[in-house]
Amino acid sequence: MTVVPAQQENGRGGGGSSGLYDVLELVLDRGLVIDAFVRVSLVGIEILKIDVRVVVASVDTYLRFAEACNRLDLESGPKKDPGLPDLVGEITESGARGKSKGALSGAAETFADAIGQGREAAGGRNGSSSSDGEEAPRRTRRTTSSRKKEES
Amino acid sequence: MTTYVYGIAHADHPLPEQQVLGVGDPPCPVRIVRSGELAAVVSDCPDGLRPKRRDLLAHQHVLTEMGGAGAVLPLRFGSLSTDDDAVRDALGEHATHYKTQLADLDGRVEFNVKAAHREEAVLRLVVDDEPEVRRLTEALQSAGGGSYPERVRLGELVANGVRAREVQDAHTIERTLAPLAEQSAPGPEGSGWLVNLSFLLPRTETAPFQEAAHRLAEEQPHLELLVNGPLPPYSFVRPAHSATDEETRERTPEGSGRG
Repeated sequence: MTVVPAQQENGRGGGGSSGLYDVLELVLDRGLVIDAFVRVSLVGIEILKIDVRVVVASVDTYLRFAEACNRLDLESGPKKDPGLPDLVGEITESGARGKSKGALSGAAETFADAIGQGREAAGGRNGSSSSDGEEAPRRTRRTTSSRKKEES
Repeated sequence: MTTYVYGIAHADHPLPEQQVLGVGDPPCPVRIVRSGELAAVVSDCPDGLRPKRRDLLAHQHVLTEMGGAGAVLPLRFGSLSTDDDAVRDALGEHATHYKTQLADLDGRVEFNVKAAHREEAVLRLVVDDEPEVRRLTEALQSAGGGSYPERVRLGELVANGVRAREVQDAHTIERTLAPLAEQSAPGPEGSGWLVNLSFLLPRTETAPFQEAAHRLAEEQPHLELLVNGPLPPYSFVRPAHSATDEETRERTPEGSGRG
């Protein structure tokens, strides 16, 4: 997952590679579909990654939140710059996900990994029909529904 | 020869002076296939085309280049036709629908806005806003971490607080930006962002929208806000159905609406 700095505005209309990740879903999942045309098979597409950042209701998540709170410097108050490197270093225990994610995405990572494995399995089973094009979006929906189930 | 179709434009849509290159390696040159008042932006389709990063970019690039000279209806990536004649047939089949859409989207661009929480900043907000969370956090910190049930209880309260913030922040973002756009449409679901929304704007009047997004990011530092645009209006094209074009037009697509 590419971590794009906040407020990135691609003035040239996304023609460059920066921000591609963020508009990929639009290129792949939006845009006009014309019945008379066939769609190129999207089997094995690897460029779409699921970045689950929603709060999943599980004991694992709770413990991670508690741990993150335990590390908060309560004396510093709310005005303290959240971007300070020493704090970020502590919070970002899983490291690779970028500074703004921290414990929350750490909790979600396992979740995403499980889904990723599911995707590979599904990809192996599916043939080269055009319906594979819906694969990634369908899977991301699954994560949402999981979340809703947890919430209800 | 399979034909790759990027988008649909008016028949008099100009090709840029400089050759536009499309999908494939080496890239296939983009050309125009005309039928009546409409034109399709196409190229040859290389054998074994796959959704590679390079080709996705090429699709985006072609639509961006061509869109600069007038309205182009963006097709979804990977739309293939058996040959140019079949493209002409497809244009003719729903010509009225496409012409209506071209008129509606003329001079319009899409901006996509995504937001997520900055973890530590949002935890601070929750701790500061909810006395019980603060009390428990202080108690656990002074107890060197606290017992398992205590940690679960704190974590659950925090999770609830964060979730409430997600809902509240999503509402704030939409309420702030939607009035500055002509239409909005939800992005693909479940991508893990607390907001994923696309907005349709006049190409020449995007500044107020972008400034509002910028202010929002400044005022809400716990939000990671990604603004991408101007983009081809991917989220605002409507498919032609076998029903009459007029009926299709009456039916508003999911989630779109003014202000």
